[in-house]
Amino acid sequence: MEREKVIEVRDLVKRFGSFTANDRLTFDVYRGEIFGFLGANGAGKTTAMRILCGLSRPTSGKVTVAGIDSHRPEEIKKRIGYMSQRFSLYEDLTVNENIELYGGIYGMTMKEIRPRREELLRRLSFTGYGNTLILALPLGLRQKLAFAVALFHEPEIVFLDEPTSGVDPVTRRQFWEMIYETASRGITVFVTTHYMDEAEYCDRITIMSEGRIVALDTPSALRQQYGTASVEELFVKIARPQRINA
Amino acid sequence: MRRLLFLLKKEFRQIVRNPFMLRAIIMVPLLQMLILVPAITFGIKRLDLAVTDNDRSPASRELISKLAGSTFFKTTAAPINIAGAGALLLSGDADLVLIIPNDFSEGLAGMTKPRLQVLVDAVNSTQAMLAWSYLTSVVRDYNMDVVMATGAAPSAIPGINTSPRYWYNPTLNYKHFMLPGVLVILIIAIGLMLAGLNLVKELETGTLEQINVTPIRKWELIISKVIPFFILGLLDLALGLTVGWIAFDIPFEGSILLFFACSAIFLVAVLGMALFFSTLVSNRQQYLFVAFFFTMIFILMSGIFTPSESMPRWAQQFNWINPVAYLMRINRMVMLKGAGFSDIARDMGLLSVLAMGFISLAIRGYRKRA
Repeated sequence: MEREKVIEVRDLVKRFGSFTANDRLTFDVYRGEIFGFLGANGAGKTTAMRILCGLSRPTSGKVTVAGIDSHRPEEIKKRIGYMSQRFSLYEDLTVNENIELYGGIYGMTMKEIRPRREELLRRLSFTGYGNTLILALPLGLRQKLAFAVALFHEPEIVFLDEPTSGVDPVTRRQFWEMIYETASRGITVFVTTHYMDEAEYCDRITIMSEGRIVALDTPSALRQQYGTASVEELFVKIARPQRINA
Repeated sequence: MRRLLFLLKKEFRQIVRNPFMLRAIIMVPLLQMLILVPAITFGIKRLDLAVTDNDRSPASRELISKLAGSTFFKTTAAPINIAGAGALLLSGDADLVLIIPNDFSEGLAGMTKPRLQVLVDAVNSTQAMLAWSYLTSVVRDYNMDVVMATGAAPSAIPGINTSPRYWYNPTLNYKHFMLPGVLVILIIAIGLMLAGLNLVKELETGTLEQINVTPIRKWELIISKVIPFFILGLLDLALGLTVGWIAFDIPFEGSILLFFACSAIFLVAVLGMALFFSTLVSNRQQYLFVAFFFTMIFILMSGIFTPSESMPRWAQQFNWINPVAYLMRINRMVMLKGAGFSDIARDMGLLSVLAMGFISLAIRGYRKRA
């Protein structure tokens, strides 16, 4: 059976002046898969992700997200969820109010929001936290909530930009359970990360270096291909910048 | 539309939870009215007048006592020589120096032409001109006394007698002139600082990126920032006006409704400008710089202190796009002259065009892409 492509990228190039952040990227992402985007700092991961989310325009190349061309970013935005690197819920609003706001922005009514919010809080074991200001929540809980809010309008694809940086190991584990659960519901998860152990949890990974894709396959296939024991070793082997600019 | 209601709910919740915002909204109008209105004045009182009397005659003493009796001057004796007088001006101990030559009384007696010399510190040209005109009016008075003392009937003295009636501000109270202007500044402070910084803060903290990745429309976002601060601005204007009324007993000749209508249009223009500026910058520091820079220019060019009609042509042309200039004019006309709608309709219309212009600039200028 042919798997359904939800993201198609062909020869994507993004330049900032003379600097090429993304150099002829070509890849597909399939429905319901967990697609990991790896690379050193400055390798171009976030740039590519921002283009896929409609936050930035490609210099050239063809990008289709959820069947929609990147020249219609507002249409794409209706179908995706996004959780940025920086924490992005409103700290001076409560848990309920944040959920309500994003539900409303995606066109839901209070009637639709309320039951779904209760269900969401139960699933996150957040019951009783509804009227707590985000300010008062520990970072781990905030990140989990941010992820849940990004999923609240039931997008086709969710983009997570280094969602677990700065989070303790227990919460990280719970976070990945949430990612699995999301993917099992048929929602595609596109995730960038620094943590190589997390890369092992992905269905497929892409390794970027200096704006190019240097490897793309399942973690096990890549380990085999390069003869390394872990993705970490593999990463150090192929993702290290070839030269250091003076 | 429903989306806008959710956004407004969010803005109001944030405003109500922000203690700084509440303090600012109450303190700014109070302080501005109570400090700026009475402090800024061009009325001149008790200028330091140093007198060098080289004549030492009854005539010269009489002139000096006349000057000393005026509320405009505080007279002191000055050194004999002109260098000493110059030193007094230089140190700021005297604002003007009157030198009475030693042949002054002889001149009055008709032997020579009587002359006086006045040196004026003209660093502040307005003050210098006012000082000069006060002084000459006292001297003219004195002159009249001298002539009358010769026995001539006042009617026999040729000359045109003018007596002014000051309309719209009969007591020449400077506070009446400044208060409408300070109310304009109040609206600018609330609109430009609170609304603009609010959006830039969201850009800095990253919440705006999350908003940008939603299908929200640009106008919805901008209007959700305009409406709360529009309401706050009008509340603050009402507060400022009440304080002014109680503290300074300003006559309000025109329609309060018209006054608020014009202020509301102006507020929209200011909010549009604020949000437009915030689309040009990437952090709060840059925003403050841009906002402060343009606010200064707009206020100083608006005619708050100096009549804009006497500015150079290009400056007057600039004021076509200066919302502050419109409201400065409208407010004074409505508050002091009791101008009605037909008197200010043109200014109101142009101000509305500007307001629409700034709002569309803000919406067009806003980038959902970083």
